[in-house]
Amino acid sequence: MLGKLALAGIKHRRRDYLVLLVGLTMSAAIFYMFANLATNQAFIKANAVVSQASLIFGFGAVLLILITIVYIMYANSFLLSMRQHDYGLFMMLGATRKRVGELVFLETLILGTLATAVGIVLGLAMSQFLVGLLLDSLGLHLAHLSAFYLPAIVVTGVLYVGLFILASLFNLVRLTRTTVLKLLHTDEQANQPVIHPFRQMVAAVFGVLFLAVGYWAMAAITDLEMTAIPLALVTITIGTYLLFRATILVIIQGLKKTRWAKKHLNGFLLGQLNFRVYNYTRMLTIVSLLFAMALGAITVGSGYHRQLPMMANSLGTYTIAVHNKTAQEQRLIDQLNVKHQATYTQKRQGKVVYYNAAELQRQPFELNKGTTEAKYATHPKYYTESLKQFKKGGSQSLDFLSLAIRSKQGFYAPQFLSARQFAKQPGKTVTVTTVRVKDLNQDRRILKRLNKLELSRFAQPAAMTVGNYQSYELMSGFFGGLEFMGYFLGIAFLAMLASCLMFKILSGAPGDQRRYQMLYKVGVRQKLMRTGIAKEIGILFLIPGIMGVIDVLFGLQMFKPLMQSPMSPYLGIGSIFAIFIGLYAIYYVITLTLYWRIVLPKAPTD
Amino acid sequence: MTTNTVVDVHNLEKTYGKANERQYRALKGLNFTVAAGEFVGIMGASGSGKTTLLNMLSTLDVPTRGDVVVNGHDVTKMRGNQLADFRAQEVGFIFQDFNLLESLTAEENIGLPLALKGTSSRVMDQAIHEVAETLSIADLLPKYPSELSGGQKQRVAAARAIVHHPAILMGDEPTGALDSTSARDLLDLLTTINQKQKMSVLLVTHDPFSASFCQRILFIKDGQIGSEIKRGDQDRSAFYQQILNELGTFNE
Repeated sequence: MLGKLALAGIKHRRRDYLVLLVGLTMSAAIFYMFANLATNQAFIKANAVVSQASLIFGFGAVLLILITIVYIMYANSFLLSMRQHDYGLFMMLGATRKRVGELVFLETLILGTLATAVGIVLGLAMSQFLVGLLLDSLGLHLAHLSAFYLPAIVVTGVLYVGLFILASLFNLVRLTRTTVLKLLHTDEQANQPVIHPFRQMVAAVFGVLFLAVGYWAMAAITDLEMTAIPLALVTITIGTYLLFRATILVIIQGLKKTRWAKKHLNGFLLGQLNFRVYNYTRMLTIVSLLFAMALGAITVGSGYHRQLPMMANSLGTYTIAVHNKTAQEQRLIDQLNVKHQATYTQKRQGKVVYYNAAELQRQPFELNKGTTEAKYATHPKYYTESLKQFKKGGSQSLDFLSLAIRSKQGFYAPQFLSARQFAKQPGKTVTVTTVRVKDLNQDRRILKRLNKLELSRFAQPAAMTVGNYQSYELMSGFFGGLEFMGYFLGIAFLAMLASCLMFKILSGAPGDQRRYQMLYKVGVRQKLMRTGIAKEIGILFLIPGIMGVIDVLFGLQMFKPLMQSPMSPYLGIGSIFAIFIGLYAIYYVITLTLYWRIVLPKAPTD
Repeated sequence: MTTNTVVDVHNLEKTYGKANERQYRALKGLNFTVAAGEFVGIMGASGSGKTTLLNMLSTLDVPTRGDVVVNGHDVTKMRGNQLADFRAQEVGFIFQDFNLLESLTAEENIGLPLALKGTSSRVMDQAIHEVAETLSIADLLPKYPSELSGGQKQRVAAARAIVHHPAILMGDEPTGALDSTSARDLLDLLTTINQKQKMSVLLVTHDPFSASFCQRILFIKDGQIGSEIKRGDQDRSAFYQQILNELGTFNE
């Protein structure tokens, strides 16, 4: 009978349960996606050429587990708040505590197991999609990566079901220790936070100190090595929490004393924030961390994506060199966005390669200052030399020598002949076309095909690279894993952030519904209520956003050793930040619209 | 309608349910007026249409037919912001369940109607303290609703209802959740407000004791005014007896 009643209770609030279930499912799915990468030793070994990469994974795993624990605690308290009135009612009707306890335990566990199972399936599908999408659009090849990975399924399942068993036990203890009356009237209990100036000050000072230690640890990753990441993780979390706890309440109560607070709904807004400040502090801390993780990961990922071509461009002057180009190769070259192109005729004999001086005068060989001078590394400067200078200088550059590779030992030595002599000179005639494209990333696919054709026609020693495209490919193999992880984790954390904020909406909505109904009765205009809600939710988005951006700005220090000059984790972050903040703003608008729909009272109709 | 009429209800009808569904007629053509400064009670059994009527008067619900004029405003013709502003400026409410915002202190709750109007904070403080003196709740101002008893909450609610000097004060079973002492205090308070501030009061109740504080009582039965009695010069306990008698015959 009681089981039937409990089921009826769930049916009654199926929309809330659905959102709870969706949130937990998303969390499990994201965790699976991560575990799929983190537990796949073969993948990590194959792709993480840099020792720190596996460190980053360890860090990510610990962090994700912590966030998951907090997340489930959140979801669990939401579940409990939904159910405790019903449980109280059952007890009042005469159900024994033991029986109600069994119900609570089973309900939590069934819900959790269901969410975990669906979540893993969803995680599989999402991995499949994301891995396909990212690898395709980034043009990476990562070995040993597949959507289905059994150990990851096991890890996710064990962690989640384990956490739900803990949550069930917690609910059991909590419910059986609370009196029936309290269960029935929890909605009406209020807590009014009080300011203790001294404690608040101490908390603020410690908060800033912890943050400073965390930021320092990230910058000093080369010295601290393994300890840097856990140290930063712990200190930044504590620091953020303390700082929020110390300052937000003081600011709210300070604002309450101003005249501004007595205009329109401002007082109500401050009251709302004040009322829930402690709940919010925890949530804001988590959201700011997730924000930082998502933004940081995407910034690093896109940093590699944008900077690998830049790095490659600093290594040489032409993107690719094609020898004796065929009609097919010509067609491919025609599809490129060519910035500079030149074709030279060579005659190779013995250890020497002969060039026609007239040809070189007509179209001088382009050189890149970026290869020699560090200050041009990020913005390559192309120039040409007079033939006289070129014979002594530019003709000895690696770029020019590479146009005629003899064997593993080296290059043909270049010689320059007048047109007449060149015509008489015996030897094997070869034409070589150098192409420099505008944007390596953009023409990646065509370049890849060109390079393949070229390599199949002329076997070059593996260590020799001709053109920046080959350097780019080499580095992609090196850093591609990190680039992929950046994007992958960034998207995963962003999704987690979204579902975390959603719980705020859910847990706050029923109470707010009542409050806005009151305001409606008292005669508050719809528009005023709308802007009021927009401000309240806006603040909840803004605070972690600002904190998150600060975290990222410091956190990028961690990647300095991995992105050495001319790359830099800070290069071109403006556009990425703008895109990310744009996404965040869109999420804000969606949240707000949802909240308006749930909370705002409807005007009466006939 | 003369200038000293605060509420004028004419042929008021309310039907619930759509035309093609089973309909329920809650109000079936009601007519009555409330003069300025009058203390009127509306009585009736559960389901007689008391609350429906009050919702119409306070613009929380829209009538199917008929007119409601409050302080010169035809509320049936108002829309959107006009309705909200009307509720904020012309009417003061006291509800059975207090309807205080638990995230605000008593002072902030009382100041809310003034804040909505954009009153300057100096004027607001003055008005709040004035009304708090009148209702002797000055010591409650810094407290939150969760720290107040039911009676105290209702006094704060009453202060909020009159702080902006509305044309009429409406109460929907304001003593419903109070013990007898608190109920009596509140009713005395309403009488004081009515007499000292010359504010019209409309009280919806099914409790004869509460009703006995009124000057005139309208009895609603099945969506229509069944009868009406006036207190005249008799004292409250005699009026109370008259109400009981009336109820005795009215419900037959």
